[in-house]
This record gives sequence, structure tokens and C-alpha cells, in this order.
Amino acid sequence: MVDVSFAIAPGERVGFLGPNGAGKTTALKILSGLLYPTSGSVTVGEFVPQERRSEFLHMITLVMGQKQQLLWDLPPAETFAMNRALFDLPRREADATQKELVDLLEVGPLIGKPTRQLSLGERMKCELVAALLHRPRVLFLDEPTIGLDVSMQARVRDFIRRYNESTGASVLLTSHYMEDVAALCPRVIVIDKGHLIYDGDLRTLARRIRPEKRITMHFSSLPAPGELDRLGSCVARSELQATLAVPAAQVTEAVRAALGRLPISDISVEDPPLEEIMQEFLGGQPANGRVKSA
Amino acid sequence: MSRRFGGEGLRAARHVLRAYPALLRVGFADMFAYRAELVVWLLTMNMPLVMMALWTAVAANGPVGRFGRREFVAYYLGMLLVRILTGSWLVWELTMEIRHGTLAPRLLRPIHPLWAHSAMQLAAVPLRAVLVSPLVLILYWAAGERLPLHEPERMAIAVAAIAGAWLLLFLIMAIIGTLAAFVESALSIFDVWLGAQAVLSGYLVPLELLPPWVSHAARYLPFRYILGFPVETLIGLESTTSALHELGVQCLFIAGSLVATLALWRAALRRFAAFGG
Amino acid sequence: MRSLRHYARLLVVQMRTSLTLAVQYRLDFFLEGALALFWLAITLIPLLVVFSRRESVAGWSFPEALVVVGWFSVLKAVLDGGVTPSLNFVVEGVRKGTLDFVLLKPADAQFLVSTARFEPWRILDFLGSIGVLVYAFHRLGRAPRVGDLMVGFALFAVAVILLYSLWILVVSVSFRVVKVDNLSYLFISIFDAGRWPIDVFKGALRLIFTVVFPLALMTTYPAQALLGKLTSAHALLAGTGGLAFAAIARFVWKRALRAYSSASS
Repeated sequence: MVDVSFAIAPGERVGFLGPNGAGKTTALKILSGLLYPTSGSVTVGEFVPQERRSEFLHMITLVMGQKQQLLWDLPPAETFAMNRALFDLPRREADATQKELVDLLEVGPLIGKPTRQLSLGERMKCELVAALLHRPRVLFLDEPTIGLDVSMQARVRDFIRRYNESTGASVLLTSHYMEDVAALCPRVIVIDKGHLIYDGDLRTLARRIRPEKRITMHFSSLPAPGELDRLGSCVARSELQATLAVPAAQVTEAVRAALGRLPISDISVEDPPLEEIMQEFLGGQPANGRVKSA
Repeated sequence: MSRRFGGEGLRAARHVLRAYPALLRVGFADMFAYRAELVVWLLTMNMPLVMMALWTAVAANGPVGRFGRREFVAYYLGMLLVRILTGSWLVWELTMEIRHGTLAPRLLRPIHPLWAHSAMQLAAVPLRAVLVSPLVLILYWAAGERLPLHEPERMAIAVAAIAGAWLLLFLIMAIIGTLAAFVESALSIFDVWLGAQAVLSGYLVPLELLPPWVSHAARYLPFRYILGFPVETLIGLESTTSALHELGVQCLFIAGSLVATLALWRAALRRFAAFGG
Repeated sequence: MRSLRHYARLLVVQMRTSLTLAVQYRLDFFLEGALALFWLAITLIPLLVVFSRRESVAGWSFPEALVVVGWFSVLKAVLDGGVTPSLNFVVEGVRKGTLDFVLLKPADAQFLVSTARFEPWRILDFLGSIGVLVYAFHRLGRAPRVGDLMVGFALFAVAVILLYSLWILVVSVSFRVVKVDNLSYLFISIFDAGRWPIDVFKGALRLIFTVVFPLALMTTYPAQALLGKLTSAHALLAGTGGLAFAAIARFVWKRALRAYSSASS
């Protein structure tokens, strides 16, 4: 990583975006104290992570989507008990927290089964319980939804957001699923090839890269040829459906014109898909290019 | 593997002959990739050296039976040599394959998986021979007069004995490894076998120095023909006639193991088919 | 530095985990225990053969050599049961990258890692070895003197510390050489030479086994202590050796942790 600087306030939810190998996981590892930066300084709260002080370790948690801290041959409940001892949590408090988390994540009947018998999604949920048992104030989440099916991804995201809202914990999330970041993180930091190339709001970034909107129309009958092209460039077309890309400034005009001239039965206006934008952004951007933060 | 005479048997044989060089090449590359582990494995074979230190200390003031100091040195260096050349990791590989289900792709190929395994193990021998050459030099320096360097007949028998030992060990390991398809604790069985081998093959103590009933019983067990017999032939503790006789016994054990291996394998395959592998 | 009570509690929790795992595979318990006793018997065979033909070897009589073997086996039971499993756990953790989680817990990493796994069936091994020691003294026709016993226990503690420190050194090395996971076999096979009184080895080998890989301090000297034959010079050597190795091991471990960068991403 080269020349990466940022500051994160308590209670914020921040997403790290970037292609594989960009340095997102490295950033989290440095922040949690697992790796040492070759230059520069890191502080989390008032601690230097690399010193691995006990109070610091009580304050943070790291969840890695591709690895787990749950003991493989034993039920998750055993891992919870071990973490309770490791973090020296008073029995009553720990039990209350565990119950709360287990209920929220709906894993009650699962925690008694050996971890190896659980599905990937079930394991991730139990992993979250284990990671949050000591009520950390800073959550480092490295690809937490990787490999999960769509509905499970949504549930995990939902849980994280609610945890942040109810406890005020800061959340730093890395993912290469756009939906994770878009749904959870009002602020994104984009890292590419070890450089920080954007720090700010995601939608602003998207709009800046591609300031256009998509108008999707359903027709009641075939539109006259040539009419569509006059309104904007067509990105998708089937018999009774079309999607146009229209510059953001001209959207209202275009919609009015479409409603006037075309046999429309349904119309909607959306942002272009983030995946596409980010691909373009990360593909086309030179290595030392910088976009001033919002 | 087909054992019927006629077209299919011949075709299978030709197929094996054509495929084998490629298998050997893959085996060689594989062994080369694991050369660090090989070196470490070689270094773990120090039991014969420790035994050598022990027995030469014992023989300091007089021979034990036929064994004086030079004989002990020759014996244990020879033992180390044969052990390194004939040893294999087949049991580990087979049990891993069976346990993790990676055996399935092998079964889909029109060639018996054991051929592939044999190639892997065989391909390791040249590398081991290279690594073991300093040992050969030491053996020559310490007890060169015992080696059959000027007796082509004895040399031939010694080489045949070592080759036979390799084959016998391979087959027995195949048997034990295949047992993993039937029992959870194939590795424990392997452990017991290793223990028995340590004693009954002459690895720890030359067989003739053990109580007579033990060394007599050992002649009817396969262990001796994996280590003790080749070593004794190599360092001239056996007459040519008895060596030839024992070579015959070794062949018998090889044939028996081959039959057992194939039968067990077939049973294992049936089990896989029944339980989905 | 957290309180001693906290670490005592952690120790209990860690042992409970290992015990729960062991109880799950109950059959394994007895199987492994039986195998351990089997190997103990096998390793006694060369000794029995040697002493069936000689009264003494390198100045050691049969019962005296038996004390060394018994002592070695006791130490081996501790090694196999308490040291090797947990340090294998580390090597695996380095390879899979799960060591990260250990480093994120608010307790000393070396402690956590060293208590991670026990193999409780090694208790059978341990008891069998004690049996060998008892038999050896029976053959000698006397019991060890109280003073000798105490020095023996002290040296046992030193031996365990030495063994453990050596293992930590091996594991710290494996942080760099992650691919080679049979380093543990190498360690165990060198340790195996400690079965015999050090006097069996001559010259350079003897020096190596006293100073570099101190088998002599681990098995021969404690055995000599039990037999009342230990010189105070040797006792001092053992004590300082143990402390020195422990300090070196701690230092190397901390350095290895610093240099540790977790596997892949």
C-alpha cells in the first residue's frame, strides 16, 4: 500500500472497495494489528494496534469471510464459552449478550451442533456471535458475505446495520460485492493497486463517474421505429421493453417526451448498476489517479 | 485390472505400457516439488545410526555372535540404505485419497489407480538414490570388503532382493491403505505394522541376535524380506545358495500380496459403489 | 500482564476443549492408549537384547539403563501428550491463516498456543513409563533416596522446560518454512536418541547431544539424579541450560511473531 491516509469517526460505517489484491484486506490487518506498516502511523481509538494491548483487543473484532475462529469439531457453543473465558466476561453479562445475538441471528437450534455440520451461511452467523460476544466498539469485517446465497447476504447486512445503529459501533467492511457496500456504507474508500483513489459518498462517486440515469419503459404496443433513439441511447431492448441511458440533467425532459410520444404502460427511472460503474472506474483509472473526496 | 486372457487383457497391458512413462514423468516432477520434505524425511531415518552407536559400544570389548564392530557398522549402514531406497508414503496417500474422496477421479480413468501410485513411488527412487550416495561412499569406506563388488552373482541377487523388497513393501502398503475404505483406523493398523516391522525385519536388532524362536518365526513372515534379507545379502552375511532360496520366498510373498491387494481393491470399489464414495 | 488467576482459568478452559474433543472420539482414546503402550514395549526390546548378552554397556548396568529408558518414556509421554499436539495446532494455524484469531485475543499468544491441545490418552503412556521406572528400581533392589527423588523431580521440570523450549524454536522456524510440516517428525526422531545413556555416543555426537540438542540434560542427567550418581557440576549445567533455552525460545518466538504475516488473504 502506498500513501493511504484516512480518518474514521466513531459510529461510522465505511466500506473498502477495490479489485482483488488491491490492499483492502491488508488495510484491515494493519488496523487490527496483525500486520506492521512499513511507514506512517496507525491509531485506533487511542491505541496503536501493533502493540496489541489488552484494552485494544477488547475493543475490536475481526471477522474474515474466508476463515473462521469457530472450533471445527465442536459446537459453536464451545467456542462461545472459550471466548467468554478469554475475554474474561462476567457470566451473566456474557449469557445475556449471547442470547441477544443468537436471537437476532436466529441460530438458537444450531449452536449445539458441531461446526462442521453447519452450512456456510449458518457458520457465518455463528461466527458473528462469537466475534461480537465481547461487545467490541470497532468491527473489522473482511468479506463477510463471501460464498453466501443472496438471501443470507441480505440478512447478514441487515444484522450489521442494526448492530451499528443500536450499539454505535464503528464498522469497517471490505467486500467485492457491490450490494454489501451500497446497502451498508454511506462512505466508501476505494483502493486500487495499493493506492487510495476515492474517499467519500458512493452515490456521489457513481454519479460523477457516469452522470446518467436509466429509464426503463414497458410498452403496451410496439413503438414507432426511430422514436427511441431520439430520446437517448438504448442499452437494452426487447419487443415490449426498453432501457435508455440518458444524461442526468435531461432526465425530466426525456421522461416527459417519452410519455408524450410512446405507448408506455410502465416507466421507471434508476441509477445505472453500480457494478458496471465500478468496473469502469477501476478499469479505466490510471494507477496514480486521484479523485478529490467529496 | 483385467486378468482374463485374450483381447481385453492384452489391450489393458498395452495401455499401461504406453501410459507408464508419462506417469513416471509426473511422479518425478511431483517428487521434485516435495524435495524439501524428502530431505527432512531422510533426516528422520536416524534410528539405524543410533542403534549403530549402541551396538558398537556393546561390541567394544568383543563380538556379539557373528557381529563385531565392523559387522554392526556395515549392517546398520546397509539397513539405512535399503530403508531409504524402498520406503514409501503410500499408506498416507491412499488413506488421504479415500478419506477426502479424491479417489473418484482416478477411478474414472481406464487404468488401475495403483499403476499411477506405483509410478509416483517408483519415480522417487532416482532422487533418493542420489541423496543416499554419500551413504554408499561411507559404507564402502567403513566396510567395503563386505560388499559384493567383485561377485556378479551375489551383486545380482542383492539388487534383485532390494527390488523385490520395494515391490513387496509397495503391495503391503497398498493393502493397508485400501483398508481405509473399510475401517476408520487404518492408520492405527499401519502403526502396529510398523512396530512389528521394527522388530521382525531386523531394523532395530539383527534377527539372529534375537531369541531363537523369534528369528525362526521371522523367516515365515514378510517383514524380514523387506529389510533384513536384502541387507544381509548386500553385506555378505548370507551364502549364495541360502540367498537364492530366500529370494524365492520373497517372490512367494510378493505373489501373495499381489493377489490380496487386487482382491481387497475390488472389494473396496464395491463398497464405494454402494456408499457413493 | 494479566492476573495469574485469569491464566489459570484460561488453562482450565483450554484443557476442557481438548477433553471434550477427546471424549467425542472415545474409541480413539483406548486405541491410541493401547498403541502408546505397544510402542513402549517395542522400544524396550533392543535394551533387553543388549543386556541379555552383556552385563554392562558403556559403564551402565541393565537396571541403570532401564532408568534412562523409563525416564525417556515419561518425557516422551509428556511430549506426545502436551507439547506436540498444541504446537502442531500452531503450524496448522499458520498454514490456514487461523493463527490470526489467536493473536487477536487478549492473552499471551505463546500461552494460548501452547495450551491449545492436549492428548489425554497419553496418561496411559505416562503410567506405563512410571511402571518401567518402578521395575528398574526393583531390579536394583532398592528405592531411590528422598534427596535423589527431589533432585530428580527438579530435573524433570528442567527437562520439560528444555523440551518445550526446543519445540517453540522449531515452531518459530516453521513460521518461515510453512510448507515443510514434517519438521515435527524430525524433532521427534532426534529426540528418540535420548533413549540411551549419553555415554553410548562418542566424540562430536556426544557434544551435540549435550549442548545443541541437549538430550543428555533431558534424560541421562535426571536418570543419574534418581540413581544418586549425578555430579553437582552436571546438575548445575542442567539447571542453567534449561533456563537459557527457555529465555532463548521466548525471544525467538517473539521475533517470529513480529515477522509473521498471515498466509494469503
